[in-house]
Amino acid sequence: MEITRRDLLQRITTGSAAIAVSGAVSAATMTGLAHAEEPAKVPPRAVGMLYDATRCIGCQTCVVACTKANDLQPDNRRDPLHQAPGDLNYRTKTLIKLYKAADGKEFSFVKQQCMHCVDPACVSACMFGGLKKDSKSGVVTWNGKYCVGCRYCEVACPYNIPKFQWEGFNPRIVKCELCKDRLAQGEEPACTAVCPKKAVVFGTREELLKEAKLRIAQNPGKYFENRVFGEKEGGGTQVLYLSHVSFSAIGLPELGDESVPRKYLKWQRRLYSYLILPAGLYAVLVGSIRKNWKHHEEHMREEEQETGLRAQL
Amino acid sequence: MKDNWRRNVPVFNVPIWTRPFQVLCVLGGIGLVLVLYREIVGLGPVSGMNDAYAWGIWKTFNTMVLTGLGSGAFAIGIAAWIFRRNQLHIVMRTAILTSFLSYIFGLTMLGVDVGRPWNFYWIAFPWHWNLHSPLLEVAVCMSIYATIPLFLENIPTVLDYVYDRWPQQRLSVEKFEKVVVAGYPFVVGLAYVLPAMHQSSLGALMLLGGDRVSPLWQTPLLPFLYVWAAAFLGFGFVIAILLFCGIIWERPLDVDILSQLSRINAWLIGLWISARLIDLTFRGRIVAAFRPDFFAGLFWAEMMILGWAFWMSRSASVRRSPRGMFFGALLTCLGGMLYRFDPTTTAFQPRPGSIYFPSVIELLISIGFVSIGAAIFIILAKVLPVLPAPLSLWYEMEAQREKSSQVAAAAIRSAAGQFVA
Repeated sequence: MEITRRDLLQRITTGSAAIAVSGAVSAATMTGLAHAEEPAKVPPRAVGMLYDATRCIGCQTCVVACTKANDLQPDNRRDPLHQAPGDLNYRTKTLIKLYKAADGKEFSFVKQQCMHCVDPACVSACMFGGLKKDSKSGVVTWNGKYCVGCRYCEVACPYNIPKFQWEGFNPRIVKCELCKDRLAQGEEPACTAVCPKKAVVFGTREELLKEAKLRIAQNPGKYFENRVFGEKEGGGTQVLYLSHVSFSAIGLPELGDESVPRKYLKWQRRLYSYLILPAGLYAVLVGSIRKNWKHHEEHMREEEQETGLRAQL
Repeated sequence: MKDNWRRNVPVFNVPIWTRPFQVLCVLGGIGLVLVLYREIVGLGPVSGMNDAYAWGIWKTFNTMVLTGLGSGAFAIGIAAWIFRRNQLHIVMRTAILTSFLSYIFGLTMLGVDVGRPWNFYWIAFPWHWNLHSPLLEVAVCMSIYATIPLFLENIPTVLDYVYDRWPQQRLSVEKFEKVVVAGYPFVVGLAYVLPAMHQSSLGALMLLGGDRVSPLWQTPLLPFLYVWAAAFLGFGFVIAILLFCGIIWERPLDVDILSQLSRINAWLIGLWISARLIDLTFRGRIVAAFRPDFFAGLFWAEMMILGWAFWMSRSASVRRSPRGMFFGALLTCLGGMLYRFDPTTTAFQPRPGSIYFPSVIELLISIGFVSIGAAIFIILAKVLPVLPAPLSLWYEMEAQREKSSQVAAAAIRSAAGQFVA
């Protein structure tokens, strides 16, 4: 193909226009997201629980109290005589599990329920806000009005907490909501209220963190790595853990200090900020297609003349 | 060459109601009946999904993998319109129709898969959107793409049909076509931005899986690798469809265009493989590929299938053999599908000890939807001018139409004559 001077000029102008557009787009993207990238803050009146594995005697009173307080059907599907679910499920919002080392010497109980993350992956995943984190108390709750039942929360949660009701035509997502109805009436959650050993206690996150650190200070060497799980782990959680065995042994994954959504969706968020990049891309594409369109039309006309048939788009 | 593809011509002279078509209808029917059953009893009894593997093949295969196969309209369209591979315009109708069907059924499958589909109406209220959710991005872009640009791209095909079928409508067709032509570049632009967005977001879905996705798949480049895989999957699938249809319906093949498609496909695969290897090497995750475990095996299976596909597509373009190209295209589809499936299921370990295997009903519904899509494609390919063909075939069809209309006219005349008599 011969390139005329006019063609060349045209190409240079469109080329530089494209560069200018993409430059402006990337600059706007970077500045636009600089502030969106600050880590999520702990809500002002964040409440939570502190679970101390060294105090827990595995009595399961909390499990029973939870079932009662949340109007759940006790799960006796594995054993008709006992409420003995194998794992959290849509009839079980909290559960006591037992960890035992291979040599049988070291063991620990662990209570499982929603961690009420500071920056929850489930809320990030949820399409229309079926799962929401309260801006004041920080409690993560489920609202069936907005839930599509896609189960992305189950895939996203690093602690495997949200559970789906696998039966029936109107399924729900079930997870600990920190007994939000009891909280509204000024009562503490059912599990902390009944715990005979105060292994799990309720309070504001600030108080609980102070209490946990006090226990570590008073008993040096007792707790695993002298660490409170949930202070920083996974961007921080509102349910805190103390343990004498390693956290990974009792099923708490080591996630690093960055929250899961921040760590993994950083680039996604940058690329989509204010939809600037897609809009810029669209403009460039339409421009290019319109330019090539003329060429295509010419080709179609030639084809029509040659074959005597109506051109096909 | 005499047999060059010049025009889109319906598959004429072939009956629609054939044995394979009947089989597809039966499979589709079984699928639809089972969907009713699923809506009544819920997901647990009909599927192998559980609280660890909350996503089964309906999402991970029918939606995430098959819309990759349906990316022909996106990938070949970009080659034709943006990179000026003008010869490729002739295969666009095939690409657009297969894409449309795979997207429509991918979306329908998503509706069957979710537990509370009636709440999907929130998609109409943008202020309820959680823009941080990759799944929202997928749901919004995919439904807009399938129902607007991809749907509109099919209109010229239908207009052609109307033009030929009802000569008295020709004026209004031409008038309408002017509107279509005026809006086309804007629609086509949208038809490339939206898939680029949601195909990459499909990759972003598993980013939130974090460390539970094997390090050989979990990478910040997952969205990029997904959309790139969609590109070569689109090419591979269109090549395979064109060759398959050409062979079963005995239509001349245009080796020029097919080998051009194969050549571009080879480039796409080659670049994708290098991008993946470079990414793994630079992040130091490549060591995981040399551990003697299941994931390493899976990784090498993917790489070898795609490497083979790359080699076949390249050498086929040299040897110009339809068989080689077909095989290369099939390998492309297989390798790409495996790559897009693995991080969601086989290379995803939500909890040690948990397993997922699709149940029979789950498989039957999945197969049923694919069958309905294939059946609709068969009908449309035989009615509308979708598949490319040489000019000679067009003239043949015209001649036949003329003859049959003469026969019909004669029949009417004789019937009228009898009536008068």
